[in-house]
Amino acid sequence: MTRNSRRLVSVLAAATIATTMAACGGDDDSGGGGDSSGGGGDTGTAADNEATGPGMTEDTVTIGSHYPLTGRAAPGYSEIPTGVQAYFDYVNANGGVYDRQIEWVYRDDGYNPTNTSTVVRELVLDEEVFAIMGGLGTATHNAVLDFLNTEEVPDLFVASGSSLWDDPENLPYTFGWQTDYESEGKIIGQYIAENYPDAKVGLFLQDDDFGEDGERGVRQYLDDDQIVEVQTYTSGNIDVGPQMAALQSSGADFVLGFNTPPYTALTQLAARNLNYTPQWWYSNVGSAPDLVGSLLGAFSQGAVSGASALAGIMTTAYIPTVDQVDNPWIQLFQRIWDESGQEGVLTNTRVYGMAQAYTMVQALQAAGRNPTGDDLVAAVEEAGSDWRGPSFTPFRFSTDRHAGISGMSVVQFNDQGVGEELTPLLVTDTGDADIEEYDGEPIAPPESGIPDEEAVG
Amino acid sequence: MEQFLSLTLGGVVSGSVYAAFALALVLIWRSTRIVNFAQGSMAAATTFIAVAVIDAGGSYWLALVVALLSGLVMGALIERVVIRPVEGGPELNAVIVTLGLFVAIQGIVALVAGVDERAFVPPFSKVGYEVREGFTLLSLSPNSIWTVAAVLVTMLALTALFRFTRVGLAMRASAFGQEVARLLGVRVGRMLTLGWALAAAVGALAGMLIAGDVSFVGPTFMDTLIVFGFVAAVLGGLDSPIGAVVGGLLLGLALNYVRGYLDDSLLGMASLVILVVVLLVRPGGLFSTTAARRA
Repeated sequence: MTRNSRRLVSVLAAATIATTMAACGGDDDSGGGGDSSGGGGDTGTAADNEATGPGMTEDTVTIGSHYPLTGRAAPGYSEIPTGVQAYFDYVNANGGVYDRQIEWVYRDDGYNPTNTSTVVRELVLDEEVFAIMGGLGTATHNAVLDFLNTEEVPDLFVASGSSLWDDPENLPYTFGWQTDYESEGKIIGQYIAENYPDAKVGLFLQDDDFGEDGERGVRQYLDDDQIVEVQTYTSGNIDVGPQMAALQSSGADFVLGFNTPPYTALTQLAARNLNYTPQWWYSNVGSAPDLVGSLLGAFSQGAVSGASALAGIMTTAYIPTVDQVDNPWIQLFQRIWDESGQEGVLTNTRVYGMAQAYTMVQALQAAGRNPTGDDLVAAVEEAGSDWRGPSFTPFRFSTDRHAGISGMSVVQFNDQGVGEELTPLLVTDTGDADIEEYDGEPIAPPESGIPDEEAVG
Repeated sequence: MEQFLSLTLGGVVSGSVYAAFALALVLIWRSTRIVNFAQGSMAAATTFIAVAVIDAGGSYWLALVVALLSGLVMGALIERVVIRPVEGGPELNAVIVTLGLFVAIQGIVALVAGVDERAFVPPFSKVGYEVREGFTLLSLSPNSIWTVAAVLVTMLALTALFRFTRVGLAMRASAFGQEVARLLGVRVGRMLTLGWALAAAVGALAGMLIAGDVSFVGPTFMDTLIVFGFVAAVLGGLDSPIGAVVGGLLLGLALNYVRGYLDDSLLGMASLVILVVVLLVRPGGLFSTTAARRA
C-alpha cells in the first residue's frame, strides 16, 4: 500500500516539475540569437542544424535525469539539478551549443529503484530525451541500465561512484563521472595505514555496492585486524543508534563512513548521545558540510554553528568545494548561480551539478553539429580523457574504459568548516593499480565560463 | 548481555512509538470500523504545525498542545466532510478514501512546508545514561523515558474512557451497532466524529514522539512508521488499546532483535513475516475477543 501511494506522490511531484520546466523552457527560446558558442572547429551556422532523432531538433537538445527530490535521500541531492539548471541557463543565454538551447528535464524518483524505472521510461518514451545525464544513485540507476542500453540512449555521467558504470562491453551507452568508491577506498586506506597505524578502525557502510566497493578498496591497504568492526545500514532505516553502539563497544577509535549525507548527521547525533568521540572520516559522498551543519546546528542550541559542527572530520575531494572561495571555478559557479536567480545559496551539491553540466557541454560540443546518440558516445570515448574542467584530475574515458575522474586528495575540516588538504592530488584506479601523486595541475576555467571543445571525427 | 539489554530497551522505546501509532488506528477502527491509512500524513501535518510554532519561538510544550488541538480539529473535520459520505457503504470505498487522503495531505504538507528535512529537537536530552565507565545505554535517555511514559499514560486514559465513562460506552455502542445505539438515544454521528477527533489527537502525539525520536522530519517522515504501526495494531487485534500497546512493544522488541542479531535490511521483511504468522495463527490478533462481538 505504502509503496503504491508513495509512487503516486512521486508521479504527482514529477508532473508538477515537468509543468514548471515547460514553463521555464518558454522563456529560454528568446535567447537563441547571438554568436554561436558551439565547438571550436565549428564552421557551420544555425541554418545547418538538422533534427537527428529523439531529443535533438534544429534548435533544442533535451537532456533528462532522475533525482531524489522527496524522501529521506532528498536533502542535499535535490539541489544538484538546480545547479545543472543554472549552468545550462548560462550556456543557453550565451547562444547554447551549436545554436541549440539545452532543455533540462528531471524527475523525482524518491531514491526508490521502482520509481526510477518508471520515470526514466517516461523521460525516454514520452519526453524523448537525447541523453540521460547524472542519474543519481547506485541502486536506483542500476534499475535502468538495461533499459537505457537496449534503447541505445546515451547514459552519461551517472552520479554515483559505483564501478558498475565502467563496463563498455555490456553497457556501451553508460559512463561514470566521479571518482569510483573503490579507488577512493584505496586512497583512504593507504592514508590511514600510513598516518594512523595504531588506530582501531570501524567501518560504517551503506549495505549496497557503495559500501562494498569502498570496503574492498580500504581492505587493500588496511590489515584485517586493524578493522575491528563493520556495521551496515539500509537507506531508509533511520535509527543508527544500534550500529553506533556496536562500533563504540568494539573499541573502534576511528570510524570511516561510506554513507549518504543524512546519515552523516544521524551518525554524528547518535554518537553524541552515546558520548562516543572517535576520529571521523566520511567518504566524499557523505561530507556535505553545509547540509550536515544545518541539520546538526539545531541540536547544539547554537553552541556549534553551521559547518563547524564538522571540525576535525576528514574526507576526500575531487572537485572544488564552496569553502574554497579563492578557487576560480568556485568564483565562476558563484557568479553563474547568482545570475540564475534561483532560490538558495551556492552549495557543494549545486557545484557538483554545475561541474557535471560543464562536462555535458564538453560532450555535446565534441559530438559535432548534428550528432546522433552514437556520435555522442563516440565523442566521449575518443576525446573525454583530454577534457579538463572543474575536476582536479582527468577522466579515464576511452573505448575500453567508461570510468570517470581518476583521483582525489585527502581533506580535513578546520574549525571554520573549511577543508584543508592533507595530501597532494593522488590518482589510482580499481584493482591492483598503485596510488601515485598526480603530476599535472588543476586548470583554470576559460574566460567565457563555457568550454570550447572541437568536434571529433 | 550488554547488547541484549541495549536491544531490549531500544525495542521498548521504538515499540512504544509504534504503539502510539497503533492506538490511533485502533481508535478509528473502534469508532467507525475503518482502517485509516491517512493516519501517517495526518500526524505529519500536525507535527509540521508544531514545527511552525517552534520556529515562531514557541516552546516544545506549547507546540505539543497546538499539535494535539489541531489533531482534534483535523480529525473531526475529516470525519464530517470526507468520511461521512462513505460511511456505511462498502468497506473498500472508505479504505480508498483514506488512501487518497494520505497522498493529498502529504502533498499539501510538502507544498506548504517544502520537501526539505529539518531538525526536530526533542524536549528532553537524548544522551544515554552511562551505566558504567565507558558503556552508555543509548536507548535509556530522559527522552526515551518521556516517550514511553507518554504512550502508557495515553493508553490508560483511553482504556478508562472506554470502560468507565458514558461517552466511552456510547462510542462503543455506536461502533458495534449503529441502529440499535440510535434507538437507545445515542447521538451516533457525534460519537463517530469524536472517535476520529480523538484518534487524530493521539496520532498527533505519536507524530511528536516519533519526530523527537528520529530527530529529522520531512513530509514523508511517518511513512515507515505506517507499516510498523499497522502491524502493531493488527497484532493487538485492532480492537483494544491495551492490545495495540502490547502489539507495539512486541513488534519493537522483535524488530530490534532482528536488527541486532541478524541484519538491518531484514526489518521490513521481518515485520511482514510477523504479520502473516499472526494472521495465520490468530486471525483476530493476539488480543481478539469472541467472534460474536466483532461487527
